[in-house]
Amino acid sequence: MSATTGDDGIVTQTSAESAPAPGPGRDRRRGSGLVIFVLAVAVLFAAPFLHLAVRSLEQAGTFVDEMTSTNALGSLGRSITLAAAVSVAAATIGVSAAWLVTRTDIPGRAIWRALLPVPLVIPSYIGAFVMIAAFAQGGALATMLSAFGVGQVSGFRGFFGSFVVLTLFTYPYVYLPVQARFRQLPSSLEESARLLGARPLGTFWSIALPQARGAIVAGGLLVFLYTVSDFGVVQLMRYDTLTRVIYSTRLIDSLTSVRLSLMLGILAIAVVVAERGFARRGRMRDPKREARPLQYRLGRWRPAATLSLAGIVGLALITPVAVCVWWAFRGVVRGDTPASEFFTSAADLVRPALNTSVAAVAAALTAVVLVAPVAYLAVRRPGRVGATASAIVLGGFALPGLSIALSLVYFTLSGASWIGGIYQTLPLLVLAYVIHFGAQAMNVAAVAVGSVPVRVEDAARTLGVSATQRLWRIELPLMLPGLMSGAGLVLMSAMKELPATLLLAPIGFETLSVKIWTGTESARFADASLACLALILTSGVLTWLLVIRRSDTLI
Amino acid sequence: MNRKGVAVLAALALVVALAACDDGRDPLTIYSGRDEALIGPLLEQFADANDVDIDVRYGETADLALLLAEEGENTPADVFLSQSPGAVGFLANEGLLGRLSADELSAVDARFESDDGRWIGLSARQRVLVYNEELVDEADLPESVLDLTDETYSGDVALAPTNGSFQDFVSAMRQIEGEDVAAQWLSDMQANGSPTYADNSSIVDAVARGEVPMGLVNHYYNFRKLEEDPDAPSRNYVFPNGDVGSLLIASTASVLASTDKQDDAGMFIDFLLSDDAQQFYSDETFEYPLAEGVEPSADLPPLESLETPDIDLNDLGSLQETARLIEESGLL
Repeated sequence: MSATTGDDGIVTQTSAESAPAPGPGRDRRRGSGLVIFVLAVAVLFAAPFLHLAVRSLEQAGTFVDEMTSTNALGSLGRSITLAAAVSVAAATIGVSAAWLVTRTDIPGRAIWRALLPVPLVIPSYIGAFVMIAAFAQGGALATMLSAFGVGQVSGFRGFFGSFVVLTLFTYPYVYLPVQARFRQLPSSLEESARLLGARPLGTFWSIALPQARGAIVAGGLLVFLYTVSDFGVVQLMRYDTLTRVIYSTRLIDSLTSVRLSLMLGILAIAVVVAERGFARRGRMRDPKREARPLQYRLGRWRPAATLSLAGIVGLALITPVAVCVWWAFRGVVRGDTPASEFFTSAADLVRPALNTSVAAVAAALTAVVLVAPVAYLAVRRPGRVGATASAIVLGGFALPGLSIALSLVYFTLSGASWIGGIYQTLPLLVLAYVIHFGAQAMNVAAVAVGSVPVRVEDAARTLGVSATQRLWRIELPLMLPGLMSGAGLVLMSAMKELPATLLLAPIGFETLSVKIWTGTESARFADASLACLALILTSGVLTWLLVIRRSDTLI
Repeated sequence: MNRKGVAVLAALALVVALAACDDGRDPLTIYSGRDEALIGPLLEQFADANDVDIDVRYGETADLALLLAEEGENTPADVFLSQSPGAVGFLANEGLLGRLSADELSAVDARFESDDGRWIGLSARQRVLVYNEELVDEADLPESVLDLTDETYSGDVALAPTNGSFQDFVSAMRQIEGEDVAAQWLSDMQANGSPTYADNSSIVDAVARGEVPMGLVNHYYNFRKLEEDPDAPSRNYVFPNGDVGSLLIASTASVLASTDKQDDAGMFIDFLLSDDAQQFYSDETFEYPLAEGVEPSADLPPLESLETPDIDLNDLGSLQETARLIEESGLL
């Protein structure tokens, strides 16, 4: 994607396109309307960056010194190292799993497809907590393993612990788009390669992988941004990244904390810009569903392949669920939570589950409506506006939830009174989710926009269909599955969000993540586990209802 | 989106719309850094008994303090309940806290309130050494927290250097034992291979599992752990003779300067200091009640027997200095 074409280029391009259309001025109007809309979205998403920048420049004299101090740079280095390692590992797992379930005769494909995306709904702080409970010295699983002669899994902390946990709970960011891409790709090339004698692994490397590159990089970028912004895992695993410093200094040295948050945001934007150069998302030539998709026989590799998928799902999904079930059970049987109280606390979760669903669904749909035009502009009319707007949207994903929440507090309370009216109401919370997680919809939407074949649009134009009609009747329906899967990602993230929820939700508006937090805060793990299971269940049901069921192409 | 999807969304929207309707009275708004399980029942009791509507926002103490600072005079909050004096010091510095009445201040020993009446202590928790009784004999534990740097305890003592209570404890050590002793203690603990953990709960958990034999925490975490898992081998040890290792840290209440519900807020603070409420702290949260005349839980040594020095935990500059010392020690 080139950033050299200016705004003028966009207008020229639109008017040239509209030549055969019935209303000559219409495309131009739509073009400039689109640019204005995208600019407005960019301003909205830039709010937290602006707020951080203004705060960071108080006592501006110390700014450069502090940003380049050894402590800050050391933490930054650790954040980058961890994020890079997690991205590579998550991409490896995501791509392999996607290839296995789309291109091979691995047994139980429907089950794997249903289970592989689910770890994304598990909040990573719960993931880390559970993994420590299970695998650290004296933990349930470690004790079991030692009975089989497996030594203590010592050193399950620091870099290694953070790396394992973050990889396990973020690989779906890569898996989801890549498996969708594999399912959509014509297998004819791979088929020909095979007929010409190439081995399965050879065709995977030389044909399938390059074709899925855009999806892999897009997913990997989300993993990277998620990891640099994660706090829960590195805190529990005691790995000293930038977010840990941001957190521990937030009150006693808020200037440092704010500056390092800004540094995180700048890092994110730098990575996004670098990624642009790397992944040129071209339009696909000829996407279609194959009547009979290509399938490799795994042969003697079948057991090994099946075991590795089972290993991933076992660690990333079954283990956390099992630990939660065990804690809930223990609360009933051994602690002083009687069975009747157990059912009361389960019933108490219905309301939070509804609240969570409403806020997250609203955020998911709003995010798609706001960022799809940004993706559309960036892909279809490459230029400065689209490039800048999409970088800002993506960068928001790396900011701490606390920074986003506080910036919204600032802008709503210092703005006009009608803006102040939405303070501590649901719309403001939804807006925080949108700014924080819009990046996920944005990346997927860009792929969806790119996947509308050029020839379809060409055909429509030749037939004299107007630009607006082309958008509504042809492009949008083709993009819809992709846009909905972007909505699905936002949905899952919003459901587990905590820091902004605690500060911005209307008072008394309890969500499941708040319930989990309340439980762990007071060391009532039975309650926390129940809420966590409810979160996994609600999230699974909603994503299935709204996204997976109707769009088995997922992008 | 298909029809069922729309139906699901419509149903959800309706539920929320109904929930959003309230009776329109202006409630007393409380920001609470103390968690709901701990204090929720007490707040309900107040609302019922006095026919006052209350709105409570729960959150982490530090996050709520930042929120209050960002909201400034526009805050809807009337009262702030804090885990520790540190966060309150931050808000007092910003000039956001009002002065409490002399009556309220007289209810509590002066060492548990601010000199200028910006906050008052409600309950206190004690710093203790939690240990695993299967791994450690109580008789082998030292007289003072300062002795934990001995090589006998090499690699054995878990710390939570990012935790607010640990930082309060270090601030106290600086004030009582002097800057040099505190700095030396921190770097010796680091040199002694003390493992670090995220927070008090993680340490109590790790000790109960046997991952580490002992750790420095607040006293009530182990009470809760044992409530959840009565077989856990974790026990609390209190350093004797008013050692700085057994410091008491108050949870506090403050009234926001911007409140227009001074009367309700005052009534609420009085309620929190009443015998009933203080008894609740003692019975339900295992904390020390701070209002004079209420006894702590039978499992705890009496408050008067604890020689806790009068120190200042809400000086922000002092907190930053503590954070700097901890960072320099390499424990973070």
